[in-house]
Amino acid sequence: MLSPDMTIAAEAVAKAKIEVKNLNFYYGQSKALKDITLSLPERSVTAFIGPSGCGKSTLLRVFNRIYELYPKQTAEGQVLLDGQNVLDRSQDLNLLRTKIGMVFQKPTPFPMSIYENIAFGVRLYEKISKAEMDGRVEQALKRAALWTEVKDKLNASGLSLSGGQQQRLCIARTVAVKPEVILLDEPASALDPISTAKIEELIDELQAEYTIVIVTHNMQQAARVSKQTAFMYLGELVEFDKTEKIFTSPREKRTQDYITGRFG
Amino acid sequence: MAEHTVAAFDEDLGQISRLISDMGDLAGSMVGGATKALLNSDNALAQRVVSDDAIMDARQRELDDRAITLIAKRQPMADDLRHVVGSIRMAGDLERIGDLAKNIAKRVGTVGLSATPRDLSHSIDAMAQLVLIQVQGVIEEYAARDAAALAKLRADDERIDVKYTSVFRELLTYMMEDPRNITACTHLLFCAKNLERIGDHVTNIAENAYYVLTGTQLPANRPKQDETAMSAPAA
Repeated sequence: MLSPDMTIAAEAVAKAKIEVKNLNFYYGQSKALKDITLSLPERSVTAFIGPSGCGKSTLLRVFNRIYELYPKQTAEGQVLLDGQNVLDRSQDLNLLRTKIGMVFQKPTPFPMSIYENIAFGVRLYEKISKAEMDGRVEQALKRAALWTEVKDKLNASGLSLSGGQQQRLCIARTVAVKPEVILLDEPASALDPISTAKIEELIDELQAEYTIVIVTHNMQQAARVSKQTAFMYLGELVEFDKTEKIFTSPREKRTQDYITGRFG
Repeated sequence: MAEHTVAAFDEDLGQISRLISDMGDLAGSMVGGATKALLNSDNALAQRVVSDDAIMDARQRELDDRAITLIAKRQPMADDLRHVVGSIRMAGDLERIGDLAKNIAKRVGTVGLSATPRDLSHSIDAMAQLVLIQVQGVIEEYAARDAAALAKLRADDERIDVKYTSVFRELLTYMMEDPRNITACTHLLFCAKNLERIGDHVTNIAENAYYVLTGTQLPANRPKQDETAMSAPAA
């Protein structure tokens, strides 16, 4: 029987899926991320919390290099995905973005049918038969807990779904291309409480298979869904620890002030 | 400590702190009053202690209500959460201290009837003074946010346990000397036991207070010196 000390030690050496090393990020001349170093364990949920402008969404967008869609944004340092630096110039961006999927605050279904929303991404990378594609679409929608609600209207437009359903469609679209990491940027802030609960339940199921990073303004949500939490402030990583430690007895006063509502 | 952005949150927490402080003061006065009533056979004082228990119970219920409402409304985190949960626990211990003091006070009538000689009660008095210092100390040190003092106070309970063991033995010898002492001494034994239990509740309060202040638990084992349950050496 494992003693408590051994259990904690075993958890501590859980394999890192993403390792950030001395990451600096610039919007033009302005430094938005300052020497960030942290390790995200695989098949686990990590939350990034912090006040507006602290850099949490910026950090998320470095992982799949989506910042490169915009001019004058640069990253220095290393972001290792399974030991490979994703910031390397030789990295295939399309391949990176299948491995690391992203879901945004505002649901972004394509203006296509529900079926096509899912099939579109798969078709970009794989040539499979109609029967196989049907299977992939069903599997993805089941993974996103949306199948029973849409199985009889797969040809209906993705835009005809409710907000919560659209968000789950975006998650289905992300898992259809078999990623390893899923990035969620405030996935539930635009949704009602019931849809939010469904998304949280989904995150709980997905973490068995995927490494998940979630940016959220909702402290209670971060406490509920994540296993470890990073608190950021003004571009710095202030504290990174097990979620239950951060929310019951954080080490840093700034962390405590933020999570107890004493900031500002 | 910085204030919450939402001022009402600070007010809610403040009300809970004030209730703990009030309950602590009341516990001190009930323990002091019960012991004094016992030693001086003061029935009027004993009656006041008994009726104070109803106030203590009402305070505990009020604290429970406020704490639960605060958790629902504010979803407290970190030190705020520890403060609220710790207060619920401490209020439970303070309420039990009130009950135990009331039980001592209730025996005043019966002990008084047998005209307790001063020397029978001398050891109880000494023990009660130790307990009173602990009860008053724990609330003061929590209010002063002195975690180190709380840890020491918890360890000091050992002195009460040692005193209880000696009171127990002393009362036994009085009973063996003269059977007419038996009634009074039996009641005094119960009173001594209640005082020892009050000491234990104070250590619970100290442990909870330490956790609230520091976020870490004191080690599980603290010295226990109550040897009354251990078998006596062969005569």
